[in-house]
Amino acid sequence: MTAMPKISRRSFIVSSAAAAGGLALGLRLPFGPEVVRAQDGSPEINAWVVIRPDDTVVVRVARSEMGQGTITGLAQLVAEELECNWSKVTTEYPTPGQNVARKRVWGDFSTGGSRGIRTSHEYVRQGGAAARMMLVQAAADQWKVSASECSAANSIITHQPTGRTVSYGRVAEAAAKLTAPDPKSIKLKDPKDWKIAGKPIKRLDTVDKVTGKQVYGFDLKLPGMLNAAIKECPVFGGKVKSFDAAKVSSMKGVRRVVPVGDTAVAVVADTWWQAKTALDALPIVWDEGPNAKVSSASIAEMLKAGLDAEQAFVGNRNGDAKAALAGAAKKVEAVYSYPYQNHVCMEPMNATARYTPDKCEVWVPTQDGEASFAALLSVSGLPADKCEVYKINLGGGFGRRGAFQDYVTQAVLIAKQMPGTPVKLLWSREEDMRQGRFHPVMQCKLTGGFDASNNLTGLHMRLSGQSILASVRPAIVEKDGGRDALSFQGVFESGEHSFGYTVPNLLIDHAMRNPHVPPGFWRGVNINQNAVFIECFMDELAHAAGQDPLEFRRKIMAGHPRNLGVLNAVAERIGWGKPAPQGRFRGLAQMKAFNSFVAAAAEISVEGGNKVKVHRLVGATDCGYAVNPAQIDRQVAGSFVYGLSALFMQECTVKGGRIVEENFNTYNSMRIAQMPKVESIIMPTGGAIWGGIGEPTICVAAPAVLNALFQATGKRIRSVPLKNHGFQLV
Amino acid sequence: MASASAVVNVPANPKRGEIIEIKALVRHAMETGFRRTQLGAVIPRDIIRQFVCLYNGVEVFRAELHPAIAANPLLTFTTVASESGTIEFRWTGDKGFSVIESARITVV
Amino acid sequence: MTSRRNFLIAAGGLAGGMGLTSASGRAHATPEEMQEAVRKVIGTSRVRSGRVKLDLPPLIDNGNSVSLSVAVESPMTPADHVKAIHVFTEKNPLPNVVSVYLGPRAGRANIATRVRIADTQTVTAIAEMSDGTFWSGSMSVVVTLSACLEDGLI
Repeated sequence: MTAMPKISRRSFIVSSAAAAGGLALGLRLPFGPEVVRAQDGSPEINAWVVIRPDDTVVVRVARSEMGQGTITGLAQLVAEELECNWSKVTTEYPTPGQNVARKRVWGDFSTGGSRGIRTSHEYVRQGGAAARMMLVQAAADQWKVSASECSAANSIITHQPTGRTVSYGRVAEAAAKLTAPDPKSIKLKDPKDWKIAGKPIKRLDTVDKVTGKQVYGFDLKLPGMLNAAIKECPVFGGKVKSFDAAKVSSMKGVRRVVPVGDTAVAVVADTWWQAKTALDALPIVWDEGPNAKVSSASIAEMLKAGLDAEQAFVGNRNGDAKAALAGAAKKVEAVYSYPYQNHVCMEPMNATARYTPDKCEVWVPTQDGEASFAALLSVSGLPADKCEVYKINLGGGFGRRGAFQDYVTQAVLIAKQMPGTPVKLLWSREEDMRQGRFHPVMQCKLTGGFDASNNLTGLHMRLSGQSILASVRPAIVEKDGGRDALSFQGVFESGEHSFGYTVPNLLIDHAMRNPHVPPGFWRGVNINQNAVFIECFMDELAHAAGQDPLEFRRKIMAGHPRNLGVLNAVAERIGWGKPAPQGRFRGLAQMKAFNSFVAAAAEISVEGGNKVKVHRLVGATDCGYAVNPAQIDRQVAGSFVYGLSALFMQECTVKGGRIVEENFNTYNSMRIAQMPKVESIIMPTGGAIWGGIGEPTICVAAPAVLNALFQATGKRIRSVPLKNHGFQLV
Repeated sequence: MASASAVVNVPANPKRGEIIEIKALVRHAMETGFRRTQLGAVIPRDIIRQFVCLYNGVEVFRAELHPAIAANPLLTFTTVASESGTIEFRWTGDKGFSVIESARITVV
Repeated sequence: MTSRRNFLIAAGGLAGGMGLTSASGRAHATPEEMQEAVRKVIGTSRVRSGRVKLDLPPLIDNGNSVSLSVAVESPMTPADHVKAIHVFTEKNPLPNVVSVYLGPRAGRANIATRVRIADTQTVTAIAEMSDGTFWSGSMSVVVTLSACLEDGLI
């Protein structure tokens, strides 16, 4: 487990009081800022870097590790500028409480939107560089020479003219007392000169995960801890009417049966199994409310009506699509749909809380330690200095554990009813499947128009379906006149998710239809359905125009060189234009997402009309800069597993207002034998803006396979998952 | 004291001269006027605009509320328990909204 | 990191005719609008920083119902008391939050309520004293999801 820094509160408080006193009396403190120390007494050079006497470097990481390799990547960036010995680097999570107390010195903790590296690289690199400058200055001061005559490499400072050396550990104390350099004086290395960053370095967290040493939230054991199992009303929006605690209170190990808010009930017992067994036996009467009548069919009806509705929010517009389509020589129209999906993190939702009126602590796997802290503040009613959250590495996040802290709120509500006792709340798999924050449901009607020479003259893409932000952050939707701009990821008019084609008359709009099922940010968010919709329809258009899918796209991508770059790369690698092996068929797709340009090509075969084998998957990624190429390869491959499992097998249906699929028997995931080795092409082309990696690539595998499927079977599939059409992944 | 729409909390028997804390809550959606329907239409503003607390008929606290006040407005304030009598709470707002609640106070 | 507001303006087309403004013609309040709202309430008087302690949670997850309290140092005598406390935000759709009117019968100048916080921002409370002076206190709050969408929504 990544250690939590226990900053000596006393030394921090003493130092800030001393500083305040000194300034108030007009005294100059002799050594600049007071030293902040980690719990073992080692000094902070700055908030990002602690150096121990034995030269161990502790890099503070604000974001969360959830298997995406971000803490290693961030440590590489800091270590690169710090010029330290990588073999002695370890990482540590500052707590959200410490971040608040120190005026957010570590900035944003949220780990989502593929932002971990791209939105923090600049300031963490500056943190590493500043620490290096202070260490060098401390050595120079000791030697009474100019810092400009000294260099640093591998945690050793050398005075060039004399060859004198000293290690970081020996000057850390002195460096920690220096004033930080003016940010304007910090020069970051050119990525061309990177020695640690940019290299496929082994991750810092792999060994513990493989040996079982890694502690996850659901492994956590605290002295005196009890275990809780919970059930929330399975019909969203419903409440608890009554429950009969007496029926289970005398069951083995049961300590309490408690309401949790007005929508859930929990059983607290000595062991989790005892809690779950009692909860399963507990009679609960739900007040299901009006949503009990909702079904997948009624939701589909609601969305269908939006496909032809008058009103829609516009996300991309060029020329006059309606006129162009009305006057087109030939039109192609298709309706696609995409279902609700669950994140299915391998580690179900959990949080451990201990509450007293003087202190409330939560231990939780979270993508955003500050969001967990905010939820804790809200539900405990305690001030910030009486609260703390300890981040634990996650057994999967994928967007379920960032914006949504419902399990933290629940754990604290339970712990408040048993002050002083730590309570670990762990959801069963069934509860996790029922109480997801689901990939939103969406339909899409696409209409394309050609002139007499088979040039695409008009395109209308009408989305109809659920807005995530209307539910999760309505203030943002309100500011935008009721529009959820995020619905247009991958097809938007500008920015990090802009459309990768030029069409003279274009209209992309969204009829918002919000069912009662709670939506959330599923890995990739809205690029998953938008990539299926647009990239499969592009193939439909190519087919109608009698053109090769790659050639058809190239003709309308002249203004999109980086999109073309990745598309051409996968086409070349898969051997597009040359015949495929007997019985194999190919498809491709491209998109810009999270400021990265991604493309995929798939080569499949279909046996017996429905058994699909994926033989080859090629992915190309242009993320601007690559901090750890090996990690990018793994993220690409992992995202393809996640995306193709969804494509073939995953759908959450609704009946009686609740989610039907409760476990892996009805919501499966692919197995290793079904997955080819991914051929990953990393082609960073630099630029001013860094691109993300966690999500963008996930969206292109599904349309590439769907397009290949058409070539193989002649059947155009317009709704997913493929199991609904009788297709099996073999 | 509570009715279907309002709940107030006043210490029943404070000492004379004691500063007491009063909590007053009323059920109201406090529709901000900034929310939109799925079709993009604005949902019109409908909020409580004013709250007044009268102690034996004399105003001791008044508040002007704006859309930034959360739904089911809760106000906590203090007053000196000067004499026995009636404390009255009045909420008024858009669409003729009007709720009056009262509590007896006996000063010892 | 570019602030979201600057990003949206720089993005041009996004801010242009694409429905960014609400039906009332305003997207959301700005610090300038807050200053204007403050002026409307206190006129041209000078506002001094101090005596006013405004408290909200520093990190906010759900901005729909956030506890807010204000405590003003004052003897609350007939000769020297807080007449009114006004609360403002710089990034909610409207700058005014609440105005409360007190007097010596309050005993203390301590009030609390629950507010909506739309975005990461600074909230300000201004106390109007019986001697005609104005004092202020403020607090910065972070809305955790908004923070991660700050760099450009899309």
